[in-house]
Amino acid sequence: MIKVLFFGPVAERVGASEVQVPFHAGMRLQDVRAQLQKLHPAAFEIVCFAAVNGKHALDMSLPLAEHSEVVFMSKFSGG
Amino acid sequence: MTKGEFTDAVRIQQEDFSQDEEIRALQASSKQMGGIATFIGCARDFSEGRKVTQISFDAYGSMALAEMNKLRDEAIVKFALQDARIVHRVGVVGAGEQIVFIAAGAEHRAPALQACNWLIDELKQRVPIWKKEITPQGDSWVTPHP
Repeated sequence: MIKVLFFGPVAERVGASEVQVPFHAGMRLQDVRAQLQKLHPAAFEIVCFAAVNGKHALDMSLPLAEHSEVVFMSKFSGG
Repeated sequence: MTKGEFTDAVRIQQEDFSQDEEIRALQASSKQMGGIATFIGCARDFSEGRKVTQISFDAYGSMALAEMNKLRDEAIVKFALQDARIVHRVGVVGAGEQIVFIAAGAEHRAPALQACNWLIDELKQRVPIWKKEITPQGDSWVTPHP
């Protein structure tokens, strides 16, 4: 499984702070995004960044491993 | 208070912080500081013409803390600081309360002031924290300013 986390406005639009996506060999970050974007289009309208295992992921073709933690995030507004 | 009793230099916490304690901790780390610059971000009680009663913060805690530590390390190198501290609150913060504290200590004032400015700008860009304004008309997530 891939654990996908949501925070702030994205979590509100998804209606959950965490979902699980089944892992398959060769899975890439863009595959998880595409799958979830179909289910939650309004949430992904505001997604600007992704992180994998706690680090910014700029390349959506990044390969994922089983049990990866993925986060799709809107622009930050701390401070 | 001895040096060992001070809190971590980078923290995310629900409770309020004391500017005096943070500065004492910064000063305890080095006697070579000729200048200390600080920034405190506070919760305004208005936004875009609306009354704001509280601000609620959500954070990707582990990544936010890691990014804040990276920012501190980078600032220390980039501005030749003696030390720096960053504290950000999460949870619900009342109007008028403190949200974020940054302090930068350097041999001279210019790098301390520049580092403080750089740190808050970078924090807003790089640290995964989101704020929601709670108003009598309803709640709304804040769209970041450029």
